[in-house]
Amino acid sequence: MSTALNNNADGWDPLIVAFCCNWCSYAGGDLAGTSRMSYPANVKVIRVPCSGRLNPMFVLRAFQRGADGVLVAGCHPGDCHYSTGNYHSRRRLSSFKRLVEFAGFEPERFEVRWISSSEGDKFAEEMEAITGKIKALGPNRKMRDARWQNVT
Amino acid sequence: MAERYLEELTKIHDAVKQDLLGGRINLLLGWEKGHYWWQSRPLFAENEQDLERLTWDSFCAVNLSRYLLEELKDYQKIGVLVKGCDSRSFNRLLQDNMVARQRVVLYGLPCPGMLDYELLTATAEAELESIAEQNGIVVLRSAAGEKTVEREQLLLYKCRDCRYPDPVVYDQLLLAPRGEKEAPERYKSVTKLEEMPADERYTYWEKELSRCLRCYACRQACPYCSCRECFVEQDKPRWQGRAYQGSENFLFHLVRAYHGAGRCIDCGECQRACPVNIPLQELNRKLIKDINELYGQFEAGLNADLEPPLLTYKPDDPAAFSEK
Repeated sequence: MSTALNNNADGWDPLIVAFCCNWCSYAGGDLAGTSRMSYPANVKVIRVPCSGRLNPMFVLRAFQRGADGVLVAGCHPGDCHYSTGNYHSRRRLSSFKRLVEFAGFEPERFEVRWISSSEGDKFAEEMEAITGKIKALGPNRKMRDARWQNVT
Repeated sequence: MAERYLEELTKIHDAVKQDLLGGRINLLLGWEKGHYWWQSRPLFAENEQDLERLTWDSFCAVNLSRYLLEELKDYQKIGVLVKGCDSRSFNRLLQDNMVARQRVVLYGLPCPGMLDYELLTATAEAELESIAEQNGIVVLRSAAGEKTVEREQLLLYKCRDCRYPDPVVYDQLLLAPRGEKEAPERYKSVTKLEEMPADERYTYWEKELSRCLRCYACRQACPYCSCRECFVEQDKPRWQGRAYQGSENFLFHLVRAYHGAGRCIDCGECQRACPVNIPLQELNRKLIKDINELYGQFEAGLNADLEPPLLTYKPDDPAAFSEK
């Protein structure tokens, strides 16, 4: 992640971490690619087996180590490869999102979206949208690890 | 000590003495006076001699159920004195499979709410020598003279919005029940924080959490923190950095609070145990409030048979994010 921060010497460029579920959203990203759609390179995709695999500490760790925004993407409710994973993550991530906001993060910094494997266009749109929102908000300094702040 | 307490103590003493000497229990978890008169610390009584130190007063705030985790390793059968919050903690541990019901005897003590020593001295505006209680009134005696204050105003923060002073699970109820209470101001400070702009709220937490020593007293006192290995001590992966800085303090407190999502019984032991007075209950109450709003009213610890809300789901659940 530090290299991603370093790339832009002449100003700030947002770094967005997207946790994508293997079966839907990651495949949706794949479809966006094979369909030659483009989305901002600020988004770094991390593949997880299921949105239910997401440990909320992943999100906080991303914020600590340089992320300006975090997106979790999973299958639409009812479409989970493991039947119920995203039903559970809906409850978990809803309460976690509210907690993160309660700690003082702007609501746009942490988002959750349902993107299916056939929604390449939606994948590109969502990545475009979150990058736009984070650009408008500016760099995130909240919860940033002090040892990472000074990397130039 | 108020007369009422003496009377109640005799009742408690008689009941547990019979069981301890009769062999129904091998150990009794109760309270004894600490170094100062305003401290009541846990008592681990094995015999009649130990039992003489048993006490019951307005400072018995320590949650005894939590001690079962350690003591059950050494004793076959343990008797515990439980107040309302302690009994809900017991349900928490029971639900997490951390204790075996048949190895514990619960003596229920409906609780009048415990007093906050810091608040007592602040109200007396001088070093306290002793207190006297009668009919909901506390007389504060200090070198500066006597001062009379309503008891309700001197309660610990955790006791102020208590809804269940009566134990919800017990084998024997030793005192007269007090009935359920209303807690209209329970979410007051959470709502106040919610209304702040995000940056202001972050500054607030940054300031509060900056005092954190990471002594983990909140975790040690907590009935939902019963993991055998806590994430803060895990090395692979090392989630919790050892560095003393805001970022790590945020991580610790957010993750700890989140581990209690849908499980926290809101007993407030974390905040009481905190040596630097971080308002930890607000984090827990925020989660309780949100989960209640989104997924239906749920009071953890009331019934050990009800599944906590984050362990289950409904296909038509609402979400706190856009589901388009």
